[in-house]
Amino acid sequence: MANLKELRGRIKSVASIAQITRAMEMVASMKLRKVQAKAQSFHPYVDEIRHMIEALAGKVGGDGEVPLFQAREVNTVGLLVITSDRGLCGSYNSYVLALLRRTIDELKAQGKQIKFWVYGRKGYAWLQRRGFAVERFFVEPPLDKADFGAAKMVGQAMVEAFTSGACDQVRLVYTRFQSMIKFVPTDAQFLPIQSIPVGQAAKADQYELDFLMEPDATTIFNRLLPRYLETVVFDAMLQSLTSEHASRRMAMKGATDAAVRMNKGLKKVYNRARQENITKELLDIVGGASAVS
Amino acid sequence: MAELHLRIVTPDRTIVDRKVAGVRFQGVDGGYGILPNHAPLMTAISTAGAAEITELDGKKNELFVSDGFAQVHDNVLTLVCEAGEFVHEIDLERVKAAEARARQKLAGLDRVSTEFLLAEASLRKAMMREMLARRVAGSGSLR
Repeated sequence: MANLKELRGRIKSVASIAQITRAMEMVASMKLRKVQAKAQSFHPYVDEIRHMIEALAGKVGGDGEVPLFQAREVNTVGLLVITSDRGLCGSYNSYVLALLRRTIDELKAQGKQIKFWVYGRKGYAWLQRRGFAVERFFVEPPLDKADFGAAKMVGQAMVEAFTSGACDQVRLVYTRFQSMIKFVPTDAQFLPIQSIPVGQAAKADQYELDFLMEPDATTIFNRLLPRYLETVVFDAMLQSLTSEHASRRMAMKGATDAAVRMNKGLKKVYNRARQENITKELLDIVGGASAVS
Repeated sequence: MAELHLRIVTPDRTIVDRKVAGVRFQGVDGGYGILPNHAPLMTAISTAGAAEITELDGKKNELFVSDGFAQVHDNVLTLVCEAGEFVHEIDLERVKAAEARARQKLAGLDRVSTEFLLAEASLRKAMMREMLARRVAGSGSLR
């Protein structure tokens, strides 16, 4: 029967799909482990930088000396969007992009200008399709291979956009990695800095130790700030990357399981059809033989 | 006697995390020597500098550190820097390539631009690394 041949073909193709998705799953989990190790070794650095900046924050003068903290009237908002370069990673990209769409709608409703900086090909394609002009699309290095240098470059570009007045506010749209099965698309303000109290506001906390400062607190602080912002960007990149790999691993595991299940079902159908065929042929032979004798 | 604990962290890894007898490093405004019981201090490390660790047994180890900050508090010295490596980890070939690249860039740039300053900084780093590597190679047999 033609049906049999068709079934054989389908079984074969489903099996090879399962093989591919299984391989992708393994690659993703290996990459995931790598990124997690990277994040692990990055942690002490973030902690130290944050510690120092918090210790210094109470010692610097008013807002006038630290421009990156100064909020001004917001006309233009810069968005740094982090997505993946490739698909086949479940709902990872669509979640970030749904958040991005909401953010855009919100800002537009408030009559604000929006500028885009993009990391990841998926986000870039999405914006292009909808006719948004992208200020800068970071291609090199790909997020997968991104090191601290890349974060530095991105951070500098964002700070530059803020200080030159091209943007009055910079926000990051990325995915936070919460657990192996939970990724939260996040929209966080990057500049002006809000997460650290500065000047009078910071005076009250426990960092009242007398440090020797050389050259002086404000100078160190202003040198430290860019470093801090770079760590924020790098953290966002690492979180997104971790989410991407975890999401892809999950998606591929689902696909592999589904393919294996389907293969089982198909094999059952195939065997039943084959058995039926054999029985029919036997009946034919027996019937023919009894007619002859 | 109190001991000094040294931690050197970079974005990629924590290079050193142990007790030492003393450390010398270069700040933006001059050299610092830190011994146990140093007063609390916070300062910036020069763009391309060397740090010398005196181990507990009196041996000395040199390493390259760049673009960072130092903090002394409670007998813990923390160097937070962008790059750092022990002298024996420095790859001369790569450093030479970086130096050539930086020089080439410098030649074609306006002297007052940001790019010029960046290229100059990378040249300084390359030269500092090279100097350190050569110094150790030259005196390796004496130690």
